[in-house]
Amino acid sequence: RSRDRKSKRASGFDMAPPGAVVPGMLPSTAMNTSNSQSPLGQVAGMVPTVPGVF
Amino acid sequence: CSRLHNRPTISPTLLLSNMYQRPDMATPGIDLHGQNMTPGKLQDHFEDFYEDLFEELNKYGELESLNVCDNLADHMVGNVYAQFREEEQAAAALQALSGRFYAGRPIIVDFSPVTDFREATCR
Repeated sequence: RSRDRKSKRASGFDMAPPGAVVPGMLPSTAMNTSNSQSPLGQVAGMVPTVPGVF
Repeated sequence: CSRLHNRPTISPTLLLSNMYQRPDMATPGIDLHGQNMTPGKLQDHFEDFYEDLFEELNKYGELESLNVCDNLADHMVGNVYAQFREEEQAAAALQALSGRFYAGRPIIVDFSPVTDFREATCR
């Protein structure tokens, strides 16, 4: 694929600083960035479940 | 499947839960801003994500495998399985990614017991 497009865009990593309220994230949980069994990171509106493997 | 999966304390494989979000997941063919998402745009979006991911993870060690789930099950949708050559590399990546954000969402990362994706299945 062309590398031109990559050079014109920013990486999605670290796009929001910790503590920022961003779309798709509940304000009440915005500060929680721990590596736990949190519903954070799941698709909005979906029932939180334990992240699993196959 | 009980979804009570084994969580190893160390593994060469990382699970990044629900990390990839299709832009048209709410309405097929339409993104969250109401814009049409053609198959080409969706492919570009996914490739941008995959490229970001590979470039970041490759900082911590040699990747053996990098899989993104295209699955509708809520516990698997957008899951990323990144298998490094060595457990120590996966551990370094886990430490480096914990507490960070991707595209405005927190990264949820843990070790995964999966080491052979051909054999991976619920037990």
